[in-house]
Amino acid sequence: MSETARPDGIPGSSLSGPFPVGHYAARLRTRLREFARVQVFGEVFGFKAGRARVWFELRDGAGALPCSMWRGDWDALGIHALADGAQIVAAGGCDYYAGSRTSSPQFSFAVTGLRLAGEGDLLAQVERLRRTLHAEGLTEPQKRLIRPALPRTIGVVTGEGGKARDDVLAGLRRRGWGGRVVWAFAPVQDRHAAPAITRALQDLAACGEIEVIVIARGGGSLADLFAFCDETLCRTVAMLRVPVISSVGHHSDHTLIDDVAAVACSTPTHAAEAAVPVDCTAARAALRAQAARLERQSTRAIVERARTLARLSRAPAHHIARHRARLHQQLRELRASSARAVSEGRRANLRRGAALERNARPDRDRARRLDTLSLAIAAHDPQRTLERGYALVEGPEGVPVTSAAAAATWPELSLRMRDGSVRVRPDRDVP
Amino acid sequence: MSEVASPTYESACARIEAIIARLDSGEAGLRETLELCQEGRTLVEFCAGELEAVGQGLEELRLGELVTRLES
Repeated sequence: MSETARPDGIPGSSLSGPFPVGHYAARLRTRLREFARVQVFGEVFGFKAGRARVWFELRDGAGALPCSMWRGDWDALGIHALADGAQIVAAGGCDYYAGSRTSSPQFSFAVTGLRLAGEGDLLAQVERLRRTLHAEGLTEPQKRLIRPALPRTIGVVTGEGGKARDDVLAGLRRRGWGGRVVWAFAPVQDRHAAPAITRALQDLAACGEIEVIVIARGGGSLADLFAFCDETLCRTVAMLRVPVISSVGHHSDHTLIDDVAAVACSTPTHAAEAAVPVDCTAARAALRAQAARLERQSTRAIVERARTLARLSRAPAHHIARHRARLHQQLRELRASSARAVSEGRRANLRRGAALERNARPDRDRARRLDTLSLAIAAHDPQRTLERGYALVEGPEGVPVTSAAAAATWPELSLRMRDGSVRVRPDRDVP
Repeated sequence: MSEVASPTYESACARIEAIIARLDSGEAGLRETLELCQEGRTLVEFCAGELEAVGQGLEELRLGELVTRLES
């Protein structure tokens, strides 16, 4: 719709207009800013800190006012935060953001000055005490204590009927922890609370068995939690030799006991888990696994070395067996080689024999002829005649005597017979 | 007079981890391996005892009851 297109008004209405809403919003902002700037007081609710501004509501029994403050002005106050219920005095005036087609309008009481009142005064006291405790170094001793990973006995200071008690037990059970819990019940809210809690802490710490102490309380207003900002209580906690784990109020609350305790947790359940850092269920499983690994390593160390020894002890036998196998192989090769050589030699000899055979044939013919001749000669051998009983007459020096006339010329003759010779003298008288 | 400090659960766990890491490295000799295994078994028994001590079921006592028990 165009800015200039003004629709008709409601028939019968006596009111002026209609006016463009942006024009009316701008006029409204002007009128609101003309309201007298004043101081208002009430309880803070819903404090939120943004980059540019902080927002909260200021309430009392008759009404409420949305408030905002530039972040720079807020930081200059040096206040950490405003808890719900904190009483303040705020100085400022009305303001109105007229919005636009794409953003929502917003009314707020623009705070330019702020003072803590009532509980706010308490907050200021707390902040002063906080600075003192820090300056005296009392926030450190507890944090330097060694917290046992697996305490057997845990002391717990809490209200007897509070939900914090159940939360602590739930946290311990979630850890799988089944040790001893020693309850030191104490009021956690009224003017008797701080001395009672201090006494309970001292009594618990005096029992040598208590290894860690949990202080637990649920949420509440600053006044409700103020007991946990008590100076004596905080100094007592700081000087205890037993670690103290605090869980007071909600995560947005920040009591002084959180500063001096060894650990500050946002819930009693977390405090219980901080008291037993070890997840016992997981630790039992891990320990079983570690024990099994140790046994495996032990067995492996022995078995591996036993195998090595066995391997080493077998080594000489293997060496001999290897050599024996090689010798057998060489022997087989030698035999095979010899057989081959003999076979080849035999074949070569046969070849040579055949060649000799061929070459020796004329000699054999000649030998046969020689034998024939020998036989022929032997047939004429005088010895053969002698063998048949004849005698051979020989003269001196074995000259055969073949006639009587020749025999008569020799004085002595020799008769050679089959079995020997005899000497004879020829008889000259015989004709 | 000096006393040998008894191990805490945390120190025992840390030592077991160190022993296993050493054994896993394979650099330990036989004698060292056996000694480490023996030490590891002792520590595992100690840790098991610690876990057993907080594994018997949660016991709740009032401070007064504990004091009475300690004084008796």
